[in-house]
Amino acid sequence: MKDLTRRLFNPAGSEAIEREVEEELRFHLELLTEQQLQYADTLEEATASALRQFGDVEQIKDECVEISKRKRPLTRALKSFLILTFLAGIFVRIFAAELHVDRVGQMLIVISVMGQLFLYVRGLKPAGFRPKSDASSPLMLNTSTVKKPASLFDADNL
Amino acid sequence: MAKDRTDLMQGTLELLILKTLSHDSMHGYGIAQHIHQSVDNLLKIEDGSLYPALYRMEERGWIASEWGVSENNRRAKFYKLTRSGRKHLDAERANWDRISRAVTKVLQTA
Repeated sequence: MKDLTRRLFNPAGSEAIEREVEEELRFHLELLTEQQLQYADTLEEATASALRQFGDVEQIKDECVEISKRKRPLTRALKSFLILTFLAGIFVRIFAAELHVDRVGQMLIVISVMGQLFLYVRGLKPAGFRPKSDASSPLMLNTSTVKKPASLFDADNL
Repeated sequence: MAKDRTDLMQGTLELLILKTLSHDSMHGYGIAQHIHQSVDNLLKIEDGSLYPALYRMEERGWIASEWGVSENNRRAKFYKLTRSGRKHLDAERANWDRISRAVTKVLQTA
C-alpha cells in the first residue's frame, strides 16, 4: 500500500525514468564488455576496460535522469490531473451523494484509474520500434560465443 | 608535449551525433562505434559522454527515441533524427565549415 501511494503521488515517475536509463546504459556496457573480451584474457579485465572507456557510470546516469525528468512536463501534468480527477470522484461520491451525481463521481474515478493504468502500461513496455535497416548498423557482435557479463551496475563494478 | 589525441570541443559531439543519425536510426552503442570508426581515434570520446548529449538533444527536439529490438535481439533504445534535427545539422555544418575555413586562414597567415 505504501509503495502504491508512493507510485501514485510520484509525478515524474522517477523510478521508471531511472530504470529506463539504467537499462540503456547497461545495454551499452554489456556490448562494450563483449567487445573488450576479444582483447582481454578474463571477464574482469574486459569489464574494467569497458568501464574505463565508458566513463563515470553513476554521474552519467544521474545526468541523464535529471534531463529526462525535465523533458516530461506533459506526463507530469497529466499524472497530476489524473490524481485530482480521482480525488474529485471520491469527493463527489462521498459528499455529494444526496445531489444524485453518483454517476459523475464514478466516471471521474474510472477516467482517472484508466488514465493511470495507461501511463503505467506505457511506462512498462514502450511501443516497439525497429531501425530501418539492421545491416547498416556497425553492430555485428557475435554474442552467442561470449559469456554474458554480470550486471555492470553491481556495486563491485562501480 | 603535444597531445596524441584531442579533447572534444563543446558542441562538436552533438554535431557528430547528428551526422551519424542522418543516415539511419541507431542505439547509443551503435552511435559510439560509428563515431569511433569515423574519427579514426583522433578525438578522445568517452562512450558515456554520448548519453547526456543524446538526452539534451532529445529535449531540444533534434532527435527522437523509441525502444526496439537490437541486432542481437535485445531491448535497446533507438534514436533517430527529427526534421528539426536535420535543419539544425545543416545549419551547424555550415557554421562548422565557416569556422574551420576562418581558423585555417589565420593559421596559414600567422
